[in-house]
Amino acid sequence: MRYDPPFHRTGGFWPALIALAVLAALPLVVTNPYARHLLILSFIFAVVASSWDLSLGFGGLFNFAHGALFAVGLYTFALTVKFLGLSPWLAIPLAGLAAVLVATVIALPVLRLDGIYVILVTIAVAQLLYQVTVSQSQWTGGTSGIVSLPALKLGGYSFIRDGRIGYYYTALALLVLSTAFLYAVVRSPVGRSIVALRDHKYLAIARGVSEGRTRLITLAASALFTGAAGAVYGGYVRVASPDVFGLSFLTLMLSILLVGGAATLWGPIVAAFAITFLSEAIVDFGPWREIAMSVLIILVVAFYPGGLWAAIQELRERLDALRTAARAALARRRGRGEREARMGGAPETMIATRHGRIAVSDTGGDKPAILFIHGNSACKEAFAKQFSALRGDFRLVAFDLPGHGVSTNADPETTYNVPAYAEVAEAVIAARGIARPLVFGWSLGGYVALELAARGHVPLAGLAICGTSPLAVAPEDFAAGYDASSHLILAGKPYFTRREAAAYAGSATAPKSPESAYLHRNLTRTDGRARAYMMTKITVVNWPRQMRMLRGGALPFAIINGADDPFLNHDYLRALTGSEGWPHDLVAIENGKHAPFFNTPAAFHAAFLAFCRAALARERAA
Amino acid sequence: MDLQSFVSILISGVALGVLYALMAFGLAIVWTTLGIFNFAHGAFIAVGAYLAWQFGSAAGLGLGYLPGAGLAVAAMFLLGVATQFVLVRPFERQKDIVLLTVITTLAGATILTNLLNVVWGPRMKQIEPAAGGELSFGLVHLRSQEAIMVVVVGATLAALAWFLLRTATGRSMRAVAQNREAAQLMGLDVHRLYALTFGLAAAVAGLAGIFIASIRFMSPNMGDDPLQKAIVVVILGGVARFTYSIYAAFVVGMIEAFSTYYVGLYWTPAVLFGLMILVLIVKPEGLFGRRQRSV
Repeated sequence: MRYDPPFHRTGGFWPALIALAVLAALPLVVTNPYARHLLILSFIFAVVASSWDLSLGFGGLFNFAHGALFAVGLYTFALTVKFLGLSPWLAIPLAGLAAVLVATVIALPVLRLDGIYVILVTIAVAQLLYQVTVSQSQWTGGTSGIVSLPALKLGGYSFIRDGRIGYYYTALALLVLSTAFLYAVVRSPVGRSIVALRDHKYLAIARGVSEGRTRLITLAASALFTGAAGAVYGGYVRVASPDVFGLSFLTLMLSILLVGGAATLWGPIVAAFAITFLSEAIVDFGPWREIAMSVLIILVVAFYPGGLWAAIQELRERLDALRTAARAALARRRGRGEREARMGGAPETMIATRHGRIAVSDTGGDKPAILFIHGNSACKEAFAKQFSALRGDFRLVAFDLPGHGVSTNADPETTYNVPAYAEVAEAVIAARGIARPLVFGWSLGGYVALELAARGHVPLAGLAICGTSPLAVAPEDFAAGYDASSHLILAGKPYFTRREAAAYAGSATAPKSPESAYLHRNLTRTDGRARAYMMTKITVVNWPRQMRMLRGGALPFAIINGADDPFLNHDYLRALTGSEGWPHDLVAIENGKHAPFFNTPAAFHAAFLAFCRAALARERAA
Repeated sequence: MDLQSFVSILISGVALGVLYALMAFGLAIVWTTLGIFNFAHGAFIAVGAYLAWQFGSAAGLGLGYLPGAGLAVAAMFLLGVATQFVLVRPFERQKDIVLLTVITTLAGATILTNLLNVVWGPRMKQIEPAAGGELSFGLVHLRSQEAIMVVVVGATLAALAWFLLRTATGRSMRAVAQNREAAQLMGLDVHRLYALTFGLAAAVAGLAGIFIASIRFMSPNMGDDPLQKAIVVVILGGVARFTYSIYAAFVVGMIEAFSTYYVGLYWTPAVLFGLMILVLIVKPEGLFGRRQRSV
């Protein structure tokens, strides 16, 4: 199952583009050479740290020779430019290739080792490289390094002029290229293998991922732009000093990586600016600066292992929760009349539950009651057609799940999961005084309905689900019960781009039309955390209990699906309902898609009413 | 090569081996017992030397060589316990504790080294050797300080061996090293033993620092080179038993002595690191260890 929109269709595209535009325009505002110097260093360090993130964060491969790869790039540049007279512009890619070559050599001992041994062997390699470099002083200048390297030039224009503007854009271009490269690697099949080896090594190997080959590629890919960055650094500071082999350079890069957030790609880039400016701001404190940076590393590792990037994500989550809560609050005040009209005049009331205040539409009366439970990122108005068509014979009740529609947002940890939603349904049934309702659950609401019935706290007259595959074992059956598609990723994705929102709403109910426009609009009100937490808490539900309840056959039950539901694995459902002793019906509605009650209401009502009548007749007989 | 130079190489190899055994002991015992690699070990060596200088030398408190060294070693024990408490213990329950503690002990090393810089400044210092002059027995010539070192270190290692092999506490430490859960079920206080291990490692590192400071010069970074040597020793020896790293220390000492003579001073570190990489590739469990490849 994979969902891979191209970069320009992800939520990160605009922030990245804006950040790039700001950085490109910054020299117009920032003319101070020292500030520009820090920015240039930030770009170069961002390249080094984010490249390191590929092996350390994504690969879980602690390559402590990463600083040495930078040094290899630096010395390759210095030696080829100074002694071979190579053009600096050719020396930069050459330095990248040299670093790749060295990384390949490093990879050979690393291939067979794990954990701490990787660290030790890479430290040894770095030391070996350092010793070799320092001992060849006739070429490398020993511990004092190679000095007075030529500046970068284009035509006759030296990049030192105009406040280092040439270096600024060279370093920025390097950062853009490096980030594009890393982004592509991380999202490629190779990138998946890298992460898979880190997280589930033996499973990945069993699935055919070659550990040796992947490690080799990881190290080589992380070396390419590190070496090139070393060359640009050499062209900029115009000295190749063996200091870059040392622990303090490594510690600086490590602090950038960890403070930014390992395995995030963007985190180290953001942190490169923060750390570079921070460490320059306290440069006057001498040894205290190093102490402060080290304390920072320890604090981050101990208390905030996600780093700066996790903080940014947390902020975003909070802002998005505020936005959705504000939208719901506004809608509660303003649009009530419109919603009641939509629901055939059924009055809307707010009910206080332990999972927040819940909006309920109830046509009232003492006819047999049907409780409707909507699906993921929908709202009670999805059942508008049922409220106008069926209210003659039934009392109709529908409610907005917490974080959906005009119900309030709730604590994601306790509320955004199927058992809590079932508690909400119980609270609604109790508060509205509904006796023995028939329950109709759609999609996620189907699971809520199943859980409600399996808990057995309130008596039900019958249960029908739609677009839901009953599960016995999670997550195995979840993977089998649905057609693995991007829809399943979206169902658990906290933030939608416009395109994703339209795609999800379109496939869950119907493509945007005047009729479905309300549901499309409502989708973006849903608390994104409701999707994410619900999906990660799939496994907390007592699925076997649901299945036992269904197989017991005491409760009238039916599955009414669109025959062409794009998300269900219809074979799974056929196998389940065809299995021995399965006592219930499986009804397929032609052209119903994922929401037959919305797309083909006439056919749906025929099947649904037949079920309801049979269930009520069975109850009367009992 | 005449016999005279061969013997002097041999002797310098033994002297180095003794020193390396002392430097590597702490690293090895922490690794075998806690299963982590303490990168602050080199900083411990430096701190021990500076404390001994502060307590013992005339420029410091002037307590004299032996009291100064004794106080420094005791203080190092406390520093080791504190380090374990701050840099290792918070991560004990985490799955990737090995990698996390690499990061925290590296940071700890930076902190200690820079604190030395803040307190005592970057100027070189030296601890006056306990004894000057040379000793000669036939072909054997060595500095008195080296002779003392060989004797003291030999005694220290013997005492440590006795402690680890014969006393209840030492046996408990080895039990925790072999199987933490089982040791815990037997009622051993794992945290206390971990702290004790770290303290012992730091104290021995401090002792090594005192010796280094009397045959070389002291600087805040004086622990960097010993740390690298200790890493080479521990890798070569393997972690199955702490005694392996003592054998390995002599192997490394000899290799270094002969390599300095034949290959040259500059290339010797490269030879050692090359050898270490070779061992890691061919026999990651160490020269003396049996095949047992887990982290």
